[in-house]
Amino acid sequence: MKKIYFSLLIVLFAAISCEKVIDVDLSSSEPRLVIEATIQWHNGTPGNEQLVKLSTTSDYFSGEIPPVSGATVFITNSANEVFDFVEDIANPGKYKCLTFNPVVNETYTLTVIHEGETYTSTEKLLDTPLITRIEQDDEGGILGNETEVKFFFNDLVNQTNFYMVRIDDPNKVIPEFGVIEDRFFQNNEMFGLYFNEDLKPGDTLKCTLNGVTQNFYNYMDILLEQTGTNSAGPFSTPTSTVRGNIVNQTNFDHFALGYFRLSKTEVSEYVIQ
Amino acid sequence: MPKKILTTIFFLLLTFQLYSQEKYTISGLISDSKNKETLIGVSLYIEETKTGLTTNEYGFYSITLPKGTYTISVSYVGYQTLQEKIELNKDIKKNFFITETSQQLDEVVILQNSKRVDVRKPEMSVNKLTIQEIKEMPVIFGEVDVIKSILTLPGVTNAGEGQSGFNVRGGGADQNLVLLDEATIYNSSHLFGLFSVFNPDAIKDLKLYKGGIPSRYGGRLSSILDIYQKEGNKNEFHMNGGIGLISSRILAEGPIVKGKGSFVFAGRGSYAHLFLKLFDNPNSAYFYDLNTKLSYSVNEKNNIYLSGYFGRDVFQLNNSFVNTYGNAVLNFRWNHLFSDKLFSNLSMIYSDYYYGLRLDIIGFNWDSGIKNYNVKYDFKHYLTDKFKLTYGIQSNYYDFNPGRIEPTSEESGINRDQLDKKYALENAIYLDAEHQITKNFALSYGLRFSNFLRLGQQKINTYANNQPVIFNSDFQIYESAEPTGVIYYGNNATIAKFDNLEPRFSASYTLDDDQSIKASYNRMTQYLHLISNTQSPTPLDVWAPSDQYLKPQLLDQVALGYFRNFSNDVYSLEAETFYKKIKNRVDYIDGANLIANEAIERVVLNGRARAYGIEILFRKNIGRYKGWISYTLSRTQQQVAGRTPEETGINNGRWYRTGFDKLHNLAIVGNYKYNDKWRFSANFTLQTGQPVTFPTGQYEYEGITVPIFSTRNENNLPLYHHLDISATMTPRKNKGRKWQSEWVFGIYNLYNRMNSASITFRQNQDTGSNEAIRLSIFGIVPSATYNIKF
Repeated sequence: MKKIYFSLLIVLFAAISCEKVIDVDLSSSEPRLVIEATIQWHNGTPGNEQLVKLSTTSDYFSGEIPPVSGATVFITNSANEVFDFVEDIANPGKYKCLTFNPVVNETYTLTVIHEGETYTSTEKLLDTPLITRIEQDDEGGILGNETEVKFFFNDLVNQTNFYMVRIDDPNKVIPEFGVIEDRFFQNNEMFGLYFNEDLKPGDTLKCTLNGVTQNFYNYMDILLEQTGTNSAGPFSTPTSTVRGNIVNQTNFDHFALGYFRLSKTEVSEYVIQ
Repeated sequence: MPKKILTTIFFLLLTFQLYSQEKYTISGLISDSKNKETLIGVSLYIEETKTGLTTNEYGFYSITLPKGTYTISVSYVGYQTLQEKIELNKDIKKNFFITETSQQLDEVVILQNSKRVDVRKPEMSVNKLTIQEIKEMPVIFGEVDVIKSILTLPGVTNAGEGQSGFNVRGGGADQNLVLLDEATIYNSSHLFGLFSVFNPDAIKDLKLYKGGIPSRYGGRLSSILDIYQKEGNKNEFHMNGGIGLISSRILAEGPIVKGKGSFVFAGRGSYAHLFLKLFDNPNSAYFYDLNTKLSYSVNEKNNIYLSGYFGRDVFQLNNSFVNTYGNAVLNFRWNHLFSDKLFSNLSMIYSDYYYGLRLDIIGFNWDSGIKNYNVKYDFKHYLTDKFKLTYGIQSNYYDFNPGRIEPTSEESGINRDQLDKKYALENAIYLDAEHQITKNFALSYGLRFSNFLRLGQQKINTYANNQPVIFNSDFQIYESAEPTGVIYYGNNATIAKFDNLEPRFSASYTLDDDQSIKASYNRMTQYLHLISNTQSPTPLDVWAPSDQYLKPQLLDQVALGYFRNFSNDVYSLEAETFYKKIKNRVDYIDGANLIANEAIERVVLNGRARAYGIEILFRKNIGRYKGWISYTLSRTQQQVAGRTPEETGINNGRWYRTGFDKLHNLAIVGNYKYNDKWRFSANFTLQTGQPVTFPTGQYEYEGITVPIFSTRNENNLPLYHHLDISATMTPRKNKGRKWQSEWVFGIYNLYNRMNSASITFRQNQDTGSNEAIRLSIFGIVPSATYNIKF
């Protein structure tokens, strides 16, 4: 809600303010390992094919993301079953597993061994509701002049839930994310909301819904705050680098960025009318 | 220690009583000769004894002197100096009426109406502005603005363009006590900081205390902005108004019973489609406010006042978003003279801040606010010409509504919820003495005892080890602890209680008639916290009272200054240096959600803050060219250390600059009276850019690039500066005409400097590459206003 509020303030200022792309000299920091271990079990699939990405940080304007090769990556479940992730020769930094066995509420541990240091993280595979219906409104958005699409789902009952919604819009090269909580919606119908004035009939919007933990909700909330358009505006909150849930067991202070999370995944595609 | 001070005071009191021989008192009111409006802070100077005093907030003065003949001069900025010989052989009631210099004939040149620095009074770190001075400064959109004008004073800044609130000597915007006719105003901005809530037409006088704060004020740490509304013309009915590009205003004033009572009604409103006219949608952003004051003099000893203020901002987008917020205050005051030496004022004040938000887009309606009932009884005791006492009691009851949530329609999935209301009582008792020890040495000392009770009914969470925030050492982050239980406090049960002694002290030592050295110390306590983790306060921010987890903020400040008048008061110089430290300044854990948070303690960490600096104010007070240069060199920092060696604290426990740290802050304000028809003014501002945190790297996560940040507030936005000018044209035909008019033409940011309100780092949605975006709010803004008076 706060974000909507602040983006509205930006709308207010937009009429009198002006934006310009400028050059800024930035200092750089030591490269750090980044682990993107997102296990998504798409509804209706066995979920055996999974991917873990390893990369390092780079200068903000460098324009490249250096991949990390030669690491050992595996996930174990509570029965100590090991699922190995093997680096794809054609795609350095991408580690694939074809034998993963996803189970809702099962606990998994990720291990990454890189340059003699071992990174681990333990999480549960979370459930995700189905998208039940989709609504389109051509006079939507805040100003009523945008195409708005709502993806509805029913809150998982009698528990505190957090969800992440990802929207892929063919008019944009980067996906749009939002994290929502059921705090004011407990046990009711909820929705993921997206609007863009560039949407035209025939465009296919892809909505991806994932159940997430409260810690991930907080983590992603900060990340989105930092990547969003209000990351240094008058109403921005102070920024700092957020650590994910992955711990370096060998050298604690040499931590890795990124996150390990697992969930069922609901994907729904919608063609704009 | 407090006991000792009290004993000293009584001892001193006693000595003066013993010495008293044949002494008489002269007392009365000082008012404007034309409209009989009482005047605040008028100087009276007794030539023979070389003692001076000023009128209080109600225009009252009193001085007791040995029998004899005295020459009294009465002087006030913008007014002719009046001199009168008084034969004091009995107690005298004497009301003075002084005349504005602009009212007099052109041939008479008066030099004695200057704004010289009061070098004798043990008062420092105080800035006074009359509404006349404020009206002479150029301002944005042609609208005279109280808050913008105080930003030209040393030690006062704000977070940036188009941002609300102000910061005094490195204090937070929530640490200012803003009083309108003694009633607390919780949000001083209209339209998110573009305007202040004070209608300049309805205001008489303002005083800003940055340090050496008298003990009659309390409840906020950094400053007191004391604003008084006009009482209205006691002789004749008058109206005035102005039409501007953004807003228009109108004021009516006149006698209720001629010479005895008066009224003022003032209203102001902006035009609805202000910024949003570019879109063809039913959008609007507007504000309005109403000021009113009734005053009535029952007899020589009793005056009553009723004043009120009501202001609202409405911001509406396509009916899917409606945001309404504003202050309302109502205040009844009774001045009573127990004797010609003992002045008293009883105030009963209601003040209210409301915030409402309707978001149809997610089916959400939200109401929050704070209500405040305040009773004060203040006494001013003019014991001798060298010794004055101020004392009184104050009591404040607060009723906080952190939020009520409702669905906007049947279909909305939002559940109804009322967040726990919070109640508190704040009491204070104080005593202040102003004491002329020798001819050159004066002291002012006082003590305030404040007490705060957090009251039920409310449910309060308990936590393991009494720690609502825990440190996750694996991930090196702070997390909210799960409550271990709940304690229920019944109606009016005490949840938490705090007592604090706040000593206040200031001294002045005059080197000669024109220069002095002053020093001060003050301790302040603040029991309310503005829950906000943004750089600049927003109307959405909620106030929270202290409790067992959220401790009261404490401040200690020392200041030292040198004050001088030059060349027959043509110039004056005020130079001060200050150091202050604050305990229990809160900061928030990463990702803290402050909106509708039932347990703020779970996202709050206690820290401390400090600020220090040098302030210089050099003024030219007399002549066709007038104005001032104010420069501040200061630093303001905050620290949240870990509670145990394992914890990192915020920013690794190191000191970091606050979002409103401004190393350099320069303001030059100039006025030039070309002739009777034209007056010109200019205002130049130059400041270090706001502290910000720039990324030092990036990484990719889930298909988006994420910036990496290192030390908090390590970088600065580019240097901020702009020059504003204005010209006022008063037609010559005004003379001898029943109605008067004037045109004010202004240009804000004359050379169209694109100051950075922010620099944002983001991934371009079309190319996917990273870019830095500078947001500038105001380029060059011309304006015109037409004012009329009849």
